Amino acid sequence: MAEVKAITRKEEEVRQLIKAEIPWEPVGPTPMPEIPDLRSWDMRLLKTYKPWYAPFCDLCCLCTYGKCDLTENRRGACGLDIATQQARIILLACLMGCSAHAGHAGHILEFLIERHGPDKKIDMGTFIELEAPNIRTVTGLKPETLGDLKAVIEYVYKEITHLLDSTHMGQEGSYLDYESKALHASMLDHVGMEVADIAQIVGFNYPTSVAETPMIEMGWGAVDKSKPVILLVGHNPATSCTLIDYLRDNDLYDKVEVCGICCTALETTRYSDRAKIVGPLSRQLFFVRTGIADVILTDEQCIRTDIPIEASKAGSALIATLDKAMYGLEDATDWDTEEIVKQMVEDKKHFAILDPEKAAEVAAKVAIKIAPQKRKEWITEEEATELAKKCTNCDMCERVCPNLFSIGDGITEVAKGNFDLIKEQFNLCIGCGKCEEECPKQVPIFKIMQVAASKETWKIRAGRGPIMDTEIRNVGAPLTLGTIPGVIAFVGCSNYPDIEDVADMVDEFARRKYIIVLSGCAAMVAGMKKDADGKTVYEKYSPDFDAGGVVNVGSCVANSHISGAGIKIANIFASLPLRANYEVIADYILNRVGACGVAWGAMSQKAASIGTGCNRLGIPVILGPHSSKYRRLYLSRKEEDDWRVMDARKREIVDTGEPSPEHLAYVCETKEKAMVTIPKLCIRKNDTPQGRSIKLNHYISLYKKYMGGGLPEDLHLFVRRSADIPLVYKKEVMAHLKEIDWQPKEPVGLPTLIGTYPTKVPIDAVIH
Amino acid sequence: MSALIPFHRVNVLTGIKSARLIEDASEYADLIQKAKRPLLVLGPRLLEWALDGKLLIEYALEIAKAANIPICATAHVKGKLTELGVKPDSVYDAVEIVNALKDPDWKGVKRAGNHDLVIFFGIRSDLGEQSLSVLKHFAPHLKTMTLCKFYYPHANYSLPNFRKDEQWKAFLENLIDNLKKGE
Repeated sequence: MAEVKAITRKEEEVRQLIKAEIPWEPVGPTPMPEIPDLRSWDMRLLKTYKPWYAPFCDLCCLCTYGKCDLTENRRGACGLDIATQQARIILLACLMGCSAHAGHAGHILEFLIERHGPDKKIDMGTFIELEAPNIRTVTGLKPETLGDLKAVIEYVYKEITHLLDSTHMGQEGSYLDYESKALHASMLDHVGMEVADIAQIVGFNYPTSVAETPMIEMGWGAVDKSKPVILLVGHNPATSCTLIDYLRDNDLYDKVEVCGICCTALETTRYSDRAKIVGPLSRQLFFVRTGIADVILTDEQCIRTDIPIEASKAGSALIATLDKAMYGLEDATDWDTEEIVKQMVEDKKHFAILDPEKAAEVAAKVAIKIAPQKRKEWITEEEATELAKKCTNCDMCERVCPNLFSIGDGITEVAKGNFDLIKEQFNLCIGCGKCEEECPKQVPIFKIMQVAASKETWKIRAGRGPIMDTEIRNVGAPLTLGTIPGVIAFVGCSNYPDIEDVADMVDEFARRKYIIVLSGCAAMVAGMKKDADGKTVYEKYSPDFDAGGVVNVGSCVANSHISGAGIKIANIFASLPLRANYEVIADYILNRVGACGVAWGAMSQKAASIGTGCNRLGIPVILGPHSSKYRRLYLSRKEEDDWRVMDARKREIVDTGEPSPEHLAYVCETKEKAMVTIPKLCIRKNDTPQGRSIKLNHYISLYKKYMGGGLPEDLHLFVRRSADIPLVYKKEVMAHLKEIDWQPKEPVGLPTLIGTYPTKVPIDAVIH
Repeated sequence: MSALIPFHRVNVLTGIKSARLIEDASEYADLIQKAKRPLLVLGPRLLEWALDGKLLIEYALEIAKAANIPICATAHVKGKLTELGVKPDSVYDAVEIVNALKDPDWKGVKRAGNHDLVIFFGIRSDLGEQSLSVLKHFAPHLKTMTLCKFYYPHANYSLPNFRKDEQWKAFLENLIDNLKKGE
């Protein structure tokens, strides 16, 4: 007789938290998983996709035994080696990212529960029944109310504590285990993001179950500076949405201009399509220094930490609205509103005001009072030329530029009255301001660059939140069979080699009928380029999650809807149960869903955790060249790694020799190379011959376009039988394959990693 | 000895082991010629930079030819090489070639064994420096060298920060001459 395993007290607590008694699906093997629960999955991934470490520093300086030299196989005073130290730093970065989103989620949830109560129902609209794919898959809970989300975020908080604990000296000693922990933290990040965005959709009544959201004006030329201007910077919409309410309620919305930078802009335009988007994070310092904003409202994440100083220089008033970033300002939350307004207007003081309603009221009143006093004119070309004459082109600016270009060359040309180069350089500028800080002649580089800064305006579609279940039903089969060649997610920050790269990539792949999804700063910059007809990609392509569609899901926290779409395919199309069934779902996505992330300008710790969370779920991510500074990638060595899978139908292990997907976290140096790598990373082992031939058609044609002709060096690895070869290249490919003595191989019917490594998940679990 | 600061200060490392700075082209040529299986890794900046109207990729090809060094084309360099009628010995991205190089048992691009000297030329300096860091820490079986006009601390051998392009041009021309002499 089989031994019945006793349910421990701890397991019983988890079952209560996830309401196990509600039988929407059977509870899977890993409800609310802890650090060890998905470790075997991680180790299987890390066996093929080995960590590639590029130490930024030779030392560890985290305790007083150090600094410890870790070069040439030396270990630190605690015993740690250089690889493990890198993995530890990566875990810390992922924890920072996860905490930022979880903190955001926790705050917004408290704010909205205060406003609506914990029993406020989660309703994602007519076309979304699967409301929380990440939460359901990871925790096993099907959240029905805002109160249910609280239990989820508390689980995330608990795990963060244990993970952070492991980075203390004298704890974890294996880089692989640190990577497993980073993967765990990053999976939790997607849970936290999902909590935040569901709460926002429910609490602020954002659009949901709709594809065609309003078009939003973008660019600083769109900001009406003749009105009092309030600038929002950050990610959390609690105060910004309250501000919109205040303006509406007090008949001020026509009289005050609201605009935003970074994700608060995306959030606010989901609440009000009359708000404007200035641009991504890389335009923050430029815009603040123009002084166009009368009042700046900051909330959290990705705000310049010297923003009070910059605001003062520009004559703008500043209110910090969240406790995470108070800048040493006096906390005026409990003060009389009129007294705060008086001191901000008359004494030019900045304050922290942590009550959104009070902050909104003060912002509006101060903006109206100080706007008439401010000069809001752009610098003229004549003024710029005069200022540029101080530049000696000494190279100091280039030496500190993270994007490695010489603004000194551009400034020198401006001094001669030529503005062409500086206009090109504005597209390369990531807006850090290090050049100006370093300039020995104090040339006001950012001010001079105003003449280069585009005053053009663009259209971006407002973020729409989750992908609809109905859309998943339509694309599930073509995506898993490969006849829609892939889903490409453009995400992350704005540390771009060139700001126009993302628009170019979106256009290339939307034209080729890939499904394009975007979020955050990437969603903004995709819209900052027009074609010959004056249209941005949002005007040119359909907003549907379908072949050739371009979908803006929203801000950073809306990234959970991108991972969520992959999970939905597994559930809605393949009928795999989600409930606490992460390993099976990740295995399905890795082997069957042709999805690829592109974080071309990834810079922040949040981008690290968003990307690493995608990796645990089986989604590869391509990063721009700066991202080598994250210190870690997950790379395979295509012809030498383990590409065995279980054919679940035949129940036998098959050595496919096919590196699909080839890498999980990968850096491309140029846009051109990324264009070739993206279609390759959308190849999956279960592609049908028709689907594979479509994918290879794009791989080959993009290779010819960007790599000077010929055939990809590794093409033979992805051709299983002659039916996989696209018709248009058949002759050329067959000749090549013959030359290298290629041998056909059978496609795998139902590829899975389950069964190739020690796991509690039975093979039957992947059969649907 | 005071620390040498790399050209792109964004890459300043707090480190222990940093590159030997070499300004003498004949010394570079000796190191290259002593190597049994050198490899020249070419980056996309070679397609953008020119010295007196001559693209850096042309200097790179002359170096490869003079010393009979196999080429690895990274990023989209292969396109330009094809245009110039050159077939690279291998095509990998910077991170991929570094990933292979750190395996001492890798067969190398000529299938004759892993390389003992890897020369980087034309990779953007942040990615280049990080790639060199991988090899510094995890590939003790090989040496690294750079030909760009910036100091690369993570390499074994590096050029200085050449203040003037003429200095760089003179170095590269001398290097080519020295390699030709040693043929």
